[in-house]
Formats: sequence, C-alpha cells, structure tokens
Amino acid sequence: MAVMWSRLSCIGLRRGIRSISLFSNTSPSSWTKVVSDAEKIVGYPTSFMSLRCLLSDELSNVAMHVRKLVGTKHPLLNTARGFVYDSKNNLQMRGLVVLLMSKAAGPSRSIPDPQLPDMVSGIYPSQRNLAEITELIHTAFLVHRGIVNLKDWTNADGPLKDMQFGNKMAVLSGDFLLANACTGLAQLNNTKVVEVISSAIGDLVQGIYTEGSHSAEDSSNADVSLASWEDQAFLSHGALLAKSCQAAMELAKHNMDAQMLAYQYGKHLSLGHKLNSDLQPFVKSSAAEPLPFSMDLAPVVFHRQIVGQEKWLQQLQQARSIGRPIDYTKLWLTIKTEKGVSQAMDLCSYHGNKALEAIRRFPPSEARSALENIASAVTKI
Amino acid sequence: MAIPWRLCWRRNAGSTGITLLDSFCGTKGRPVSIAASSIRRTDSLGSLDNQEQTPGRPVILNTVTSNFLSRHRSRFLYSTPRPCCCRRTHSDAKLKDPFTLAQNDLKNLYDDIRKELFVSKKELKALCDYYFDGQGKSFRPMIVVLMARACNIHSNGAGELLPAQRSIAMISEMIHTASLVHDDVIDGSDTRRGKTTINEMWGEKKAILAGDFILSAASMALARIGNNTVVSVLSQVIEDLVRGEFMQLGSKENENERFKHYLEKTFKKTASLIANSCKAVSILVNSDPEVHEIAFQYGKNVGIAFQLVDDVLDFTSCANQLGKPSAADLRLGLATGPVLFACEQFPELHSMIMRRFSTNGDVDRAWQYVVESDGVEQTNYLAQRYCQEAIRQISRLQASPERDALIRLTELVLTRDK
Repeated sequence: MAVMWSRLSCIGLRRGIRSISLFSNTSPSSWTKVVSDAEKIVGYPTSFMSLRCLLSDELSNVAMHVRKLVGTKHPLLNTARGFVYDSKNNLQMRGLVVLLMSKAAGPSRSIPDPQLPDMVSGIYPSQRNLAEITELIHTAFLVHRGIVNLKDWTNADGPLKDMQFGNKMAVLSGDFLLANACTGLAQLNNTKVVEVISSAIGDLVQGIYTEGSHSAEDSSNADVSLASWEDQAFLSHGALLAKSCQAAMELAKHNMDAQMLAYQYGKHLSLGHKLNSDLQPFVKSSAAEPLPFSMDLAPVVFHRQIVGQEKWLQQLQQARSIGRPIDYTKLWLTIKTEKGVSQAMDLCSYHGNKALEAIRRFPPSEARSALENIASAVTKI
Repeated sequence: MAIPWRLCWRRNAGSTGITLLDSFCGTKGRPVSIAASSIRRTDSLGSLDNQEQTPGRPVILNTVTSNFLSRHRSRFLYSTPRPCCCRRTHSDAKLKDPFTLAQNDLKNLYDDIRKELFVSKKELKALCDYYFDGQGKSFRPMIVVLMARACNIHSNGAGELLPAQRSIAMISEMIHTASLVHDDVIDGSDTRRGKTTINEMWGEKKAILAGDFILSAASMALARIGNNTVVSVLSQVIEDLVRGEFMQLGSKENENERFKHYLEKTFKKTASLIANSCKAVSILVNSDPEVHEIAFQYGKNVGIAFQLVDDVLDFTSCANQLGKPSAADLRLGLATGPVLFACEQFPELHSMIMRRFSTNGDVDRAWQYVVESDGVEQTNYLAQRYCQEAIRQISRLQASPERDALIRLTELVLTRDK
C-alpha cells in the first residue's frame, strides 16, 4: 500500500501534471527523494523495522505456504508481494513519520527523566519500537483486509479450496503481526501508549469494516456527505498514524499540547495522502484508458454528493449499456465535468496545510523540514 | 488389567510445575500388571517427599500428589478412568461449588463486556456482541475471580475483589472469544455453542474484523488498569494463542516430539490464557513472585487438563453435547491426545497422522483405532495428573472457600461431559 501510494505520487510529480501547492519554500524534486532524505535523518532505513518479524519461523512458514497460492486469485498473494517490495524500497511511511516526529519534538523539556535511556540520532529506543509497532499493525490489516468471503466465491473464480487455504494463511499471518504488535506495545511500559494504540486498532477495524460498502447503485448507503467521507477516511487511513504520532510524544513525556500537535499532523497528513491517491485516476490529462476505479474514491463520492443520487443513477445508466460492464471512460468524463475532482483537490490541499500548520509549531530542525516536505509533497498531484 | 508401560515422567529440579511429558519410553510390549487399586495407596508409591511443600503449610492432598510427582522416573498407571481423588481425600471438608461461589462476582459480566465493545456501527456492534449473550459457561472468568479472592485472602486476609481483578475476568473472556471467532474462520466451522458462527452468518472478512475489534477493546481495558506488568503478562497470552495456532499447522514425524509438540500447543492455545489471567490477578494484590507462580501453575495445569478432557470429549461425547460434531478434530486433520496414545498401540495410525487424516476413510479408521485402544483412558489419566498438580499448587495458598472451590473445580474439569 505504501508503495502504491508513493508510486502514484511519483508518477504525478514526475509528470508535473498539476500542482496546487502554494508552498514554494519547499521544492522536493520527487516523493522518493523526500523519503530517502528523511530516512537519513532518522538514522537507518526504516525497512529494517519489521525484519525481526519477517524472519520468524512463523512467517517463513506462511511464506512457504503462500507459494501454493501462486496462480490463484487470493488477495494475500498481492499483499505479500507488496510487502516484500515495500521493505526493499524503504517505504514504510508510517514508521518513518513517527521517527521524524519523535526527532522533531526532541527530548522532553521537563526535568531530565532518569528512566528514559539515551537517544540514538535524537530518537528514544522506545520511539523506534513504536514506529515498528505502527508498521506491524498497518501490515496486519493489509493482510486482514484481503480475507475473502467464501460465499461470494463462485466456482468460475477458481477452486474454493485455494481460497479457504489463502484465508487461513491470511488470518494467521495477520494475527501473528498483531500479536507481535501487542507484545511490543507491552514492552514500552507505558499503559497510556498501550491504550492509545489499542484504540487506533479499533478505529482501523471500524474503518475497514465499512470499506467498499459504497457500491455504485447502492442508495441505502446514501450518506456520502463530505463529513462522513472524512470520518470514514480518518478511521481507515488516519487514526493509526495520528495516534502513533501522539504516542511518540507521550513516550518522550512531552505535554498534552505537543501530543495534540503531533496527532493533528498525523491525522491531516494521512487524509491528504488518501485524497492524493484517490485523485490519481482523475488527474491524467486524457481518458485514453482509464482503469476501472472504485466508487469509494473521494472524487466519485464528492461527485455523487454534488449531483444527487437520482442524477448519479442516470449517469451510471448512461455509462453502461444493458448487460455490459460499466464504460469507465464515459463515467470518468462525466465525473470530470463536475466539481467532485476539484473539491477533492481543495480538500487535499486543506489537509496538507493543516499538517504544515501543526508541524510548524515545533522548533525548526532537519526533522521538522523533512516532515514539512512530506506534507507539501502530499498536496502535489 | 494389563497396561503397557509407556509413560515416563520427570520432574525438573527447581521448577514447580509438571514438566511436559518429556519422552515416551521405547518399551512397547512390556506390559505390567498391577492391581487396579494400587495407585490410590500412597505407600505403594515410595516415600514422602516434603521438599515440594511449602514449609508450615501442610495440606492433606500433598501426600498423594507430591508422591506422584517427585519421583524421578516412576511409572504411573491408572486405575479407573476418573478417580476423584480430591473428593476422597477431602471427604469431610465441604467444598463449595465454584459456580455458586463466583456467581455474585460474575453478575453482569456480559453486560459489562458489551459496554467495553463501543462501536457506533450497528452491524459491527452486533457481531462483537454475538457471543457475549450470557449463554457461555464463563469458565475462565470464574477461575479468575476465584483465584483473585483466594489470593486476596492469602495476602491480606480480606477477600474483596478489586475492580482491576474483575476487569481481568472480563478481559480473559474477551480474549478467549476473539480467538474463538478467528479459530472458526480458520477451521471453517459453522456452529459454535449451538449457534451459527459469525463467519457463517456474515462472512469470513467481517468475522475476522470483529475478532480484531474485540481484541482491541480487551487491550484498551487492559491498559486502563494501568499496570505495566499486568499488560505484559496478558500480551504474552495473545502471542501464545497465535503461536499455538501455528503449531497446529504442522505435525512432527518423531513420536516423542509429537507428544511434546501436542502438549506445548495445548499450553499455548488453552492454558496460557488461564495461567496468565490467574497470574495477573495475583500480581494486582501481592508482590511475592512465589504467589504469582502458584497462581500461574494452577491455571496452567487446570488449563491443560481442561483441554485434554476436551480432546477426549471429541471422541466420547455425542454430537450435540459439545456443540460441535464429534471427531471434529480428526476431520480437521488434528491428532490429539487419544490418537497419539492410540498410535502407541496401533502404529498403523502413524501414517494417517502424518497425512492429517486426509485420505478417504482415514477419519473412520482412526476413530476405530482410538476406540479399540486405551487412548481415551490414557488421556483422561494424563488430565488427572495435571489436575493433581494444580491442586498441589493451589494448596500452598492459605485456606479459603475460594481456594477450596478451585480445588473442587479440578474435579469438575475431569468429570464434565460437555
């Protein structure tokens, strides 16, 4: 997922299709550069973070079994593939942001706490562990997201047995990552952090639970207001990072103000990022071959809200001849004529700005600049 | 009655628990005849070893149990499938019924759990609440509150249950339920406790998410207790549950290893939750590591016995009693205690175990072998041994109605039929 995000962003940035960013003081040449520069600041590539977990007997066991899934359609296969690329490409964004945030906030300004061990590269060991835990949780839910409902599976899709097996592996490996996150959390010796991160897991579950419930025609889920989209996106894409950033402050005994600023940064950055990736299918200049896109994407949701349910159903009708699949080119053009796309862009820019606002309340530093660059990059579409 | 001499037990120096059965002796075909009642005669088993007892707190039962356990490599033979040794030795002591004694503390337990599961989305809420309908046995919370009160009396003479201890009782049930929900997806089960499973009703993906949500709520409740050691102890359970599930995926070629693997898996999948919940409630009231160890060991031994009996019931119980079809484990490809013991008598089982009963007719054939063997009795006997060790451990606490109920509980674990 992280790799997808960044790839999408890279494409967008390289083509320079459109930049609505107003932050001229930061001019990252590309997303990849922003990230690799940032990684240098925190001391070591973040790809090491989940290595311990990846090298465990349990996961190598799963890896062995996952091979049997090659040639089937189980989503676990793609998730596993993405995970491997992820670690190769050093793009575990959430962990990186947590580390940068820790470094930007620096040591606690209250009386030196003898209980806190020494910082390495300006980051406490517990904050590094937290960054790893954040990635573990994120990955666990990438895996659990891909569990297939066996009743929806028809024989035409392939043998049911493969799907059952894929599910079993997905449940086990996701649980394994979560369990490691739990024991890692416990070792932080801070029950406030355990509570905050556990609640983020709950948020993530609630967010994922309702994902994909906006089917094209479904009018029972007519609540597609901007606010409800944001609530939903926060649960599924923002809560974990926001709460991890907050927890990183708590680990260094920073006060509630600092915790809230870190939370705001994490929240707005994630929402900006989500909007950025949702916008990608709509920023291409020509509709040569628009890929099938999800009806959950922000521009689509906003479009539906603007035109209203009735007109939307008409438009859907027009984009599809009877008995044939949706003509995505037609639908794409229809959506582009309305304000859904620009609304999503404005919102993306808004969240990027909010993230910048929050991070600029921290004292200037290399780490802060990196976080600013990341927030700016998110608004460049 | 002729019984092959096959069980070898060893006690680890310095450790208080029964160490897992560490090997099968290669002594098949050396039957030893012994009078059925001899096992009950303490003097036939060698001299009393008092080292195992807490000084100054002799308990009648220790005579029997420590004899069993302290002998370095002794043979154990069962007499009848279910001798209720605790009832015999405590014939004049009135042992309270654990369920009655814990009832008051467990009142509203499920209401309180449902309050912890705070979700705005109606459907997800319904899934999370699904098994917290008050129909469960609440076996784990019961042990936890009894252990809590027993530890409290032992520590300060007062039996009042601390709010944090009650939270542990809730959390133990929540963790247990979350793991059931995931297990049902992994095993593809369609019924549980006589209800249609969540995966069958709402699909696999939602079931997994509901399980994850229950776990996160349990973890939040745990964090709110505000005790780092307690958080650590119960996080270990979550890791054990997953590792146990992984262990269930593989089978060992070597028979000795296989039994060890089985007992270790049983500890991780079932006993760790009970052991560590017991330990957690003891930590909340007492700082003495020895008390924590007693609580842990009791929970561990009762937990393993509980699962052994469960594995027996899979062979002996009618389909509807246990709420799942009998021989369910075989159908899942799992070789549990009765099969592993039967394999000693019928080596033909070995290849079936290795292929996880996957060939047509394997399940029926394996079942037949188990019935013809004394695998069920052997497993029951093993469960008794664990219960005796549990009793020995808990007896080191100061006497209280709750402690005695925990002793009585071991008997209920052995005699339950569903």
